[in-house]
Amino acid sequence: MIEALLLVLVCIIIGGLLSSLAVHLMPVGGAPAAMSTATGIATGCVMLMTGAAVTGLFTASTVASFWVTKPNVILVALSGAVGSMLMMGFTMFVGNLIYIFGAGIVPCSGRVAVDPITKDSQTEYKTPRTDGHGVPTASFVSGILGGFSGGFGGALIYVVLVSDSYAHFSVATAGIVAMGIFIANAIIAAYNIGGTIEGFHDPKFKARIRTGLTCSLIVSVLCGVIIVIAMLTGTLAGGVM
Amino acid sequence: MLFAWMLIIAFLAFIACMFEDLESDIGSQSNPNSQIQLAPEMGYIHRYFNKAISGEGLSYALSCTISGTIAMLILLQLESVGPKAAILAIPVGAAVGSLVHMVRSSVCHVGREAAHKRFEQPIYLDVLYGHLLPIATHNFLAVICITAIAYIQSNLGILSGVAGASNPFPLPLLCLIWGLTVGAIGSSTGDIHYGTERAFQDKPFGEGRRVVYHGQICRYADCGVRTSKDVAAFCAKFGGPATGLAFGLIVLFENWRTVIGMTLGGVAGPGWNPSLAAAWGIGIGIVIAVVLVILARAIEKWARNKYGPFVGE
Repeated sequence: MIEALLLVLVCIIIGGLLSSLAVHLMPVGGAPAAMSTATGIATGCVMLMTGAAVTGLFTASTVASFWVTKPNVILVALSGAVGSMLMMGFTMFVGNLIYIFGAGIVPCSGRVAVDPITKDSQTEYKTPRTDGHGVPTASFVSGILGGFSGGFGGALIYVVLVSDSYAHFSVATAGIVAMGIFIANAIIAAYNIGGTIEGFHDPKFKARIRTGLTCSLIVSVLCGVIIVIAMLTGTLAGGVM
Repeated sequence: MLFAWMLIIAFLAFIACMFEDLESDIGSQSNPNSQIQLAPEMGYIHRYFNKAISGEGLSYALSCTISGTIAMLILLQLESVGPKAAILAIPVGAAVGSLVHMVRSSVCHVGREAAHKRFEQPIYLDVLYGHLLPIATHNFLAVICITAIAYIQSNLGILSGVAGASNPFPLPLLCLIWGLTVGAIGSSTGDIHYGTERAFQDKPFGEGRRVVYHGQICRYADCGVRTSKDVAAFCAKFGGPATGLAFGLIVLFENWRTVIGMTLGGVAGPGWNPSLAAAWGIGIGIVIAVVLVILARAIEKWARNKYGPFVGE
């Protein structure tokens, strides 16, 4: 019993930390990106990451149901990770299609002079008095990695909650609790970012990731303790829905 | 049968996200709302509909969950009728969801415009009345498609005759998941066509909108004064369908890789190997992601060569 409780706690903390890392890796441009005034995806961190994570959660729930009992934790978490990664990939790709063919805009970074992956120069493609526009390759790759990390974290929390070897919550309760822990971490990370971020190459990433992960650790430990209490008292086990 | 249902789900997803984006354009919800909100402060009195109930993801998650909950209650009441009850349950659920959305839209618009009194922005009653029905109808189409997707996915095992194909989540939770996702995608992709292009059509084409332009929205249409209905007509030509394509492709490939994995893992047969099925799904997904990165790089390179560096001041 103690072993299962500890494993659930550790998995929730790992899942929370990965969720926070994912939000920091997202190329989020917020509202300015919709006006091509900032590089990244044109929506808020929490909105985007939650959308990606729940897509992964959907696939993870289907894959977890492949096993009658004791789902394979790693395979279910990886399925969720790939689901989120694909959601991010298609969203960024179609976003770029609209930037390029709908508004005639070249994707370029506003924070670095040279794309760290393609080594393409960015400065001369940037519109003056903007913070870049579109999703350049470095941001695209960062978004894909962020989707993978966030999807893995969300699905990991889900699978340990739903597995009969660990928390043994009902499917619906496990889904809602996993989403809740994920969103809490995403909101904390969004506050830490404070506006827009382009991805791993953005100087903001290096400057703020430690604070973000520390806050995420605190939130995840709190969430994990609540889950452990729920497991011990049996309040949530068996499902409330 | 499993593949046929998968294609129906992908088609419904395409329709849902396209109408979601167009509905948000009609109401100026989400990101471009910052410009509609800012315009009166910059002296740009306008006739756009101004609602920002919340981010699109949360707003649609609420509409779809209301719809899914009502649909599930009706399905439970009419359990004796069988799957045919869905013909009644899904549209009724979606109607309630979109009515609630319409109420929130009207309150939001009037509240926001009233707050702009100090900038001499009037509340045009014809704008309020004229936009509520398009908002409700577009929302209805998006929500009915999402509820139908959730219904099919939660009953896929019965509908396709393949045991274990159903998603274990209940109908309202699936509606919540797809509502959140459809809103997130509509906000991330479709808003660009409105925010960058349609809202600033009188500014130079092919450049990012400089901060100094913010709030200086285009207020005149091809004929007369522009309203938010003109925005939907414009975005329906590219932004809306492109957004639908994004969600349609996500749902298509997400289901496709899972179904292929299930088939290769020996679905519903004596040789069923869940680990093999999951591993195949993961492998296919990773290949799709790599192809996407290559495509994104190719299209970026094409744009750089075709459009060239920024020219101008």
